[in-house]
Formats: sequence, structure tokens, C-alpha cells
Amino acid sequence: MRDMTRLNGKTAVITGGASGIGLAAARRFIEEGAFVFIFGRRQDALDAAVAELGSNACAIKGSVSDEADLDRLYAVVKAGRGTLDIVFANAGAGSPLPLGQITADHIDETFDTNVKGTIFTVQKALPLMGDGGSIILTGSSAGTTGAPGFTAYSASKAAVRNLARTWAEDLKGTGIRVNVLSPGATATELAKEALGEEGQKAYGAMTPLQRMADPSEIGAAAAFLASSDSSFMTASEVAVDGGLAQL
Amino acid sequence: MKMLEGKIAVITGGSSGIGLATAKRFVEEGAHVVITGRREKELVNAAAAIGENVTTVVGDVSRLDDLDRLYAVVKAKHGHIDVLFANAGAGTVAPLEAASEAHFDQTFDVNVKGLFFTVQKALPLFKDGGSIILTSSVSNIMGLPAFSAYAASKAAVRSFARAWTLELKDRNIRVNSMSPGPIDTPALATTTGLTPEQAEQAAAQFASQIPMGRRGEPEEIAAAVTFLASDESSFITGVDLAVDGGMAQV
Repeated sequence: MRDMTRLNGKTAVITGGASGIGLAAARRFIEEGAFVFIFGRRQDALDAAVAELGSNACAIKGSVSDEADLDRLYAVVKAGRGTLDIVFANAGAGSPLPLGQITADHIDETFDTNVKGTIFTVQKALPLMGDGGSIILTGSSAGTTGAPGFTAYSASKAAVRNLARTWAEDLKGTGIRVNVLSPGATATELAKEALGEEGQKAYGAMTPLQRMADPSEIGAAAAFLASSDSSFMTASEVAVDGGLAQL
Repeated sequence: MKMLEGKIAVITGGSSGIGLATAKRFVEEGAHVVITGRREKELVNAAAAIGENVTTVVGDVSRLDDLDRLYAVVKAKHGHIDVLFANAGAGTVAPLEAASEAHFDQTFDVNVKGLFFTVQKALPLFKDGGSIILTSSVSNIMGLPAFSAYAASKAAVRSFARAWTLELKDRNIRVNSMSPGPIDTPALATTTGLTPEQAEQAAAQFASQIPMGRRGEPEEIAAAVTFLASDESSFITGVDLAVDGGMAQV
């Protein structure tokens, strides 16, 4: 049990918080003293997450691509806590579709969640945030590398990386920082299921560290960006990718 | 548990500024630090400021004999290294048309050659699973008039992190560079060759170019270096972590 309590008394929202990287970050934020609102689409996953996370977590069901759902999320945050310190805009989606077979629906779905959803997740949080606030956007190593078949996903994550650059300027003078956390291949439950043993090995082998990340390793970096340990960082990208997109 | 409990860390350029602030933070987090710098008096003062769990070795990273002496002390005292913060660096102002050969050589001797051998000579003592952090600079991706030698030397440092990540991956040693923006340290006024007025003007101009509207504090860099030094960054290697208030990011 660590005695690091860098987020004591802080309030955090984590979208896509019921599983994978979002859930790992929620665990870590709570360990460090925060109260966490997790936001996700599946009630059963949210229930299971809150059962595990305990009394410093609250679940709200909704989709980041639905503005009314986001309004509901922040109404609950405002009623329960009054203010907000940390937003981890982490909800994202992506499936492969090779060039030649891409459909308009595929593009719309990907960008609705990853780009539009991220923009409104942050915009609607701002009235509750102030000096010392930290916004973390989930990017991806795919935002800087060529990932075969992932046109829409990769482009959407490149867009997310730029959002932090623009918003660092837009948020000048507010004391609110905004950074991108870009995971590489991460062994979430979903990824493990989708890839199987062989697939996990193949993804690991592509990475200089020769393995996939454990979600807790992404959670640790999110906690760093959420805390005052990163107080002179804004508009930065922290790649937590085992070197995948760095060399 | 603290982030660096029981770890042995070597910090070059450890007597002032970013290096000293990092040494303090490392010790707070449970590490033993060996700091090196060229000026004995500053090193002694730094050790007093750090208080405990600190060893000092006077030396210049651009002199290979000095590095051998440094690591002989580390070996005798601790037997191994967990964390290396290759931080010693130098930069003076010299417009392209006026820069001398001595200016160029001095910059690259310390920032590139010195850092290269600081890392090479540490490797026999390095524990598998350790962390190496190289001090680069935002200038590694920015055009800064009259700082071309410095900026180019820092781009070389960033490049080292890429190759060394692959060379050291089988030992599970992570290598990252860290790029500070302008930091409020004595170096700007004392080592760059600027007059006090020029240094003040430069500081104000830097602040206006930084989205956060101010220069960083050495403690803020130390916090980021501590993250890279610790297991908190266990899946981060080969990166250049910008700690620059957004200066080179927007």
C-alpha cells in the first residue's frame, strides 16, 4: 500500500471509466486520495467498477457523443462536489477498416466519440474548473505512427493531440493545464480478449520494451499528469508506449 | 513506500539549479545520491542543503578521467547504480557570424561528448531495470537565435535516448530525455554571458512565449525527473518529456 496522497481531496471525472485504462486510472486516483466520477455506456460494467472502487467512486451512465448525457454528468458532479479538479477524457473507440472499404458511418462513429466527444467532455467541464485544474486527454501511439487499417482511429487521435496544443493557448491565464497521455499496446481485458495469446505476443514484440503495458502503468502516468508533480507541463504529450512510437 | 526508496542515483551538474533540486527530491523520496559538479564550494553547499544521503565528487563531465573517478567513488560506496540523471550542460550566447571554434567545442564537449561518456561509463555499474534520464532542452525542436550550438547539442541528446533505448532494452534499462523550458535558475544570469539587464530581458521575453505565462521552478523539473526515475514510468522509454509550460508544444 503506497502512502502517496498527491490527489487528496481532489474531484476527478474519468470518461470511459468502467474498464481498461479508465478503470486503472480510477483505482489509482482513489488510492491517492481523490473522489472519482466514472462515466461509461454500460450499466453492468459501471456497477461492477463501483463495487470494486468503493465509496469514493460514483458511476454515471452515458455516452460522450451525446451532449445531453454530458450535461447530466456535470450536473451530478456539481450537485455532489461543487467543483472539479481533474478531467481524464479517456473514452474512445476504434476499429480497423482498410482504405478502400471505409464508410462514412465508420468515420462519423470514430470521430463522434474520439474528437467531438472529447471536445464537449472538456468544454462542459470548464465552468466547474479553476486554478490548479488538470485535463488529460487520451491519445494513442497511433496518432503519430502509421497503423495499417486504422485510418479513422489514427487520424482522430492525431486530432486529440492537437486539441491540447490549442487549448493550452485558450486556457492561458486560467491555471488549468491540459496534456495528452498516449498509450501504446495495452493489455486491457478487452484487448486480451480480442488479441488472444498470440496477438498479445505479436503486439509485445513490436514494442522496444518487448511487452504490452499493464493498464496500471498507464494509470500511474495519468496520476502524474493529474497531480502537481506535472505543474509545469501543459500542451505536452506523454507517451506511455514502451518506446513504440518514439524511435 | 516512497518512489525511490533505497535507490542509488548519480546526478551530474548536481550542485545547482535543476540538478540540485532533483537531488533534494530524490533524497526526499528515499534515494542515496552522488552528485558531481566542477566547483567544489558549490558542491559542498549543495550537500549541506540536501542534508543526508549525499556524496559529492568534484569533476567535469567533459574529462573522461573525472568520470572514471566519479564511478570509482560510486562503486566503492554503493557498488551499483539504479538511476542516472545526466544533467550537466552548458550554453553560451554566440550569433552564428561571431561564434568561435572554442565556443562550439566547449558546448559539444560538455553537452554531447560529456553526456555520452557519462552514460557509457555508468553502464558496468548499472542494475538491470534501472532508469537513465538525459537533460535535453526545448531548444532541441526550436529555433533560438544565437543559441544554435546549444540547441544542436540538445537535439543530439534527444537522439541518444532513441538509440540507447534499443541498445539497453535487453537489460530493461529505460532511457528518456527530459526537455525543460526556461527555468528560474542562476544559470541564465551567471553562465550564458548575458549582462544582468539582458538576462532580465531574456527572462521576461521567455515568459511571454510560454503558454503558462511564467518560467518554471527547478522543483517542477525535479518532480518530472523523479517520475521518470521511478517505477511510476515503468512503460515509458525513448521519449522526450517536455516540461516547458507549453513553450515548444503549441
